[in-house]
Amino acid sequence: MTKLQRIKNIFSGLFSLAFSLLILWDHEDGFELIMLVLGFSMLIRSINSLVYYFTMARHMVGGKYSLYLGIIMFDFGVFTLAMSDIPRIYIVFYLMACHAFSGVIDIMRGLEAKSYETPWKLNTTHGIVSILTAIICCIFIKSKLILVYIYAAGLIYSSFTRIISSFRRSAIVYIP
Amino acid sequence: MQKDFHYYATYCAAYIAGYTHEESLDIAYSAQFVDLCSRTYLAKIKAPLSAATTQLQLELMDSRLDLMGLQDITRIWASFHFLPYDLYAEKKHCSKRYLNKYRLICNTNGELVKETVGLAKKTSLQSVGIAMHILADTWAHRYFAGTPSYVINNTNRYFFELLPDGKRPVRFRHSASAPDDLEHSIYTNTIHQPGENTIMNLGHGRAGHLPDYSFIKYEYLPVWNDYEEIVKDNPHDYMHAFAQMVYAMQCIRCGKSFETHLYAWDDIEPYKEDIEVILQKRQLDSCADWKAFGEGLTGCEIPDFELSKHEQEYVAASEPDNSQTFLGKFIIAALAQKSMVTNRIYASKNMLAGFSVDYAKKGFKGIRDFIGLVNERSRDNDEAAEN
Repeated sequence: MTKLQRIKNIFSGLFSLAFSLLILWDHEDGFELIMLVLGFSMLIRSINSLVYYFTMARHMVGGKYSLYLGIIMFDFGVFTLAMSDIPRIYIVFYLMACHAFSGVIDIMRGLEAKSYETPWKLNTTHGIVSILTAIICCIFIKSKLILVYIYAAGLIYSSFTRIISSFRRSAIVYIP
Repeated sequence: MQKDFHYYATYCAAYIAGYTHEESLDIAYSAQFVDLCSRTYLAKIKAPLSAATTQLQLELMDSRLDLMGLQDITRIWASFHFLPYDLYAEKKHCSKRYLNKYRLICNTNGELVKETVGLAKKTSLQSVGIAMHILADTWAHRYFAGTPSYVINNTNRYFFELLPDGKRPVRFRHSASAPDDLEHSIYTNTIHQPGENTIMNLGHGRAGHLPDYSFIKYEYLPVWNDYEEIVKDNPHDYMHAFAQMVYAMQCIRCGKSFETHLYAWDDIEPYKEDIEVILQKRQLDSCADWKAFGEGLTGCEIPDFELSKHEQEYVAASEPDNSQTFLGKFIIAALAQKSMVTNRIYASKNMLAGFSVDYAKKGFKGIRDFIGLVNERSRDNDEAAEN
């Protein structure tokens, strides 16, 4: 990781932390804010992934991964932004699904990293916590306040792991 | 390739090509020095930083991955370690962005090798050493590009070592401190990171040090080759590298034109069996064997490579006299090589190595470090005119 990437990671961690504090403070509008940020971030990432696939990765062995990732994320992004008029309960379900989905993806990435014998524990733990968050949301589905708290707690955890990962040693093998 | 080939084998090749023991040592020193001339080292001796021919671990870790940072990395690695084979290569239905990376794939006997040897012909023993490093690396590093690229340099699990009794899967790990385990085919490589421009995907990092070992034969699936596997036979390639180095240095010594696909097979015939034994011996470092072979060849002692050997001479000399010292000549030769390769990449409308400004047409408009090269060229031209 370069210094710039570390700084970027720390800032995005701090941003998520600030965002989670904001939704804790204003939990009435918290859900709408979550949907807006989630939707736009997924759209941007999906477009990046699709452009990368069509210009580069489609010529590469195993490059279809970028295409699938781009399509799924684009779909989720559009869906997220289109949900503002739907009753709050559906939004809760959707957030839980998103959490569970990102948890599964993180665990898969952790397992992939393990198969390559690269650091995998942080990703896997992150994934497990995301899934646990989704399960707890499901249990307390009737209490809006508790749901906001749980979601914010998950976000605070993500923010901290992101900030901690910025200080991780990232060994580089030098091969002349 | 490592010190065993860049230093000891290059010494042997230079001697067979007709250079004296002392000249061969200077060529071999320069060839090995290419792997050590980093910005950190150049800063220590107060030399122009643009002459860097390599990047150390910490420098790479700290290097920027924005456009300028990537261009700097590409200039160093494509010019000195992964010389592009065909800057105008075509592949159907590919974007320009992909082609720019694809065209930087290193391979043997390309036009740029010819130009590199041609450049060495005009100048110093140091430039001969640099050219031999680059030429030898085209054999070892073929099929990888000297720029960070996930779509070109990544490898996957399809990776087998070819042994006399069959194939054995290669297991990669990421411990930079642990030595490669030849007995169980466990090798160190860089971490898998799907980012297109991450440093992990520079050169043959994803294939570990396998391209650097002369004994190894392996089969793998390069991600750029449309699902066609490649069998890399290093003993065969290293023998070709040796024979081509001898031929190239014969051309340089005699002022003959260097042609690709020609090798000094006849000249190395008396030593071929000994060389094959060294190349095929299963070991991480064959310095001792090459040293013994070289000393037997010339009857002279080959001193161990010492990084600081020429340092004091350069530091003690003031400008512009330091350009006539050993390191000064190396620096000029390195700048000339970097300038030439960057220009060829730029001329092919590929911006991955950055801008190149033609001095003859537009005057001096570029990084100030290159003014030393301009002065040296003017001095050479003046001397040629006087003669």
